[in-house]
Amino acid sequence: MIKYHPNINTLTEYAAGSLDTAASLTVSAHMHFCHQCRKHLQDLQLIGGTILDRNILVADVDSSVLDSLMQRLDDMENQPEPPPKQTTHGSNSDSGLAGLPPVITKLIGTRNQLKWKKLTKSLQIAQLATGQTEAEVSLHKIAAGGKVLEHDHRGQEYTLVLKGSFSDENGIYQPGDFLLKQPGDVHRPYAAANRDCICLTVVEAPVRFTGFWGKLLNPFLRLHPA
Amino acid sequence: MANLPLTEATIDNKAADTRDSVITGFKPAREQRLQNTAKRTDSWSLDLVAIGERRDREAFARFFRHFAPMIKGYFLTHQGMMMSSTQADELVQEVMLKVWTKAKKYNPEKAAASTWLFTMARNTRIDMLRRQSRHNTVVLETEDIWATEEEESPVAQLQQQREQSLIKDAIVDLPPEQVQIVQIIYMEGKTHTVAAEELNLPLGTVKSRLRLALAKMKIQITQSADEADFLT
Repeated sequence: MIKYHPNINTLTEYAAGSLDTAASLTVSAHMHFCHQCRKHLQDLQLIGGTILDRNILVADVDSSVLDSLMQRLDDMENQPEPPPKQTTHGSNSDSGLAGLPPVITKLIGTRNQLKWKKLTKSLQIAQLATGQTEAEVSLHKIAAGGKVLEHDHRGQEYTLVLKGSFSDENGIYQPGDFLLKQPGDVHRPYAAANRDCICLTVVEAPVRFTGFWGKLLNPFLRLHPA
Repeated sequence: MANLPLTEATIDNKAADTRDSVITGFKPAREQRLQNTAKRTDSWSLDLVAIGERRDREAFARFFRHFAPMIKGYFLTHQGMMMSSTQADELVQEVMLKVWTKAKKYNPEKAAASTWLFTMARNTRIDMLRRQSRHNTVVLETEDIWATEEEESPVAQLQQQREQSLIKDAIVDLPPEQVQIVQIIYMEGKTHTVAAEELNLPLGTVKSRLRLALAKMKIQITQSADEADFLT
């Protein structure tokens, strides 16, 4: 049962296409788990359609545009159907990553070339290349029973639990749960004792560890949008 | 608003060229809607089905003539696009090609034609923005992140239609300051944060205006962990 959802403002930005790509990726992966938000999305898209249909702003389209479009349809039909695209997801060799949202599986790639980088004893991070420059997208793995140093957030941080679970002062987060941390929010997550927790994380500015050891670590943490 | 003449396609044409009056443009469309939307929406859905099943060029041309000006308006309204009429026409063609190739997946029981078309136009806009900003090869297609397929689990058709007409009725009765936010986020493609900066309003005000608008359209708001941020 999913308890933590994107707020309705974030969902609306996603439905309208005004939310940036990296954050949208997180919302999209949440949809995979959450029937309720898929329903909201339908309604929010219906609003988009209604506004489009209200003809508030229309611009004349010359009839030559339709003519050339019809020409393009002719050209398309005279060509043989392109072979259907190979669907590559689903063949992930790492069984630990089975059952993930297709968009994440595709991002990880078939060769599963995740490069896990050990940041602390219990936290590993693997960068994901998403072809945008606004935010850093990565998978975070907290080892079973492991704790992450207390940290705050200089920019917005979106987190989606993919596997396992983790907790912080405010609650327990299970697969599909979506968290948005604002700049200045401080928390100290720890994974459930019995299994690793894997999260999709989008950081719009780097996380800063607080406390003495955290301050020592900070120089190693840089934002790598990709 | 844009570098091209956009025409107010409302019955009441006294609206001037400012954002406020553009927004009140929602209202006059109502009389028109009361007369023919129910039937009209249905016929556009049928056209889409005809395009999908029978490759019906006549239906396609009809669909194009009706919706192309709206889609062009949608592209020209977008922030920072500053595009020429020719470029906007290109994007209109791109959307309509998607309509042609994807119409066979359209299910009139699940979405109104205009809603389905909106997702096509939105994704085309996102595609274009991503093309402009990407720095190297990209793993994910726009459709991987913004699916255009409708929810598979069956929603009773009657219930779906009732909700659609509820939203359509509510949207014309929204107060102007709420319509304005809906308009900026959907048509201009801006975030709440940008809207707040432009309107010189606190972010919380902008967020709550949208929430009020959604509540009037009877969209149930899911409680989330970060509800508090709406007060900031």
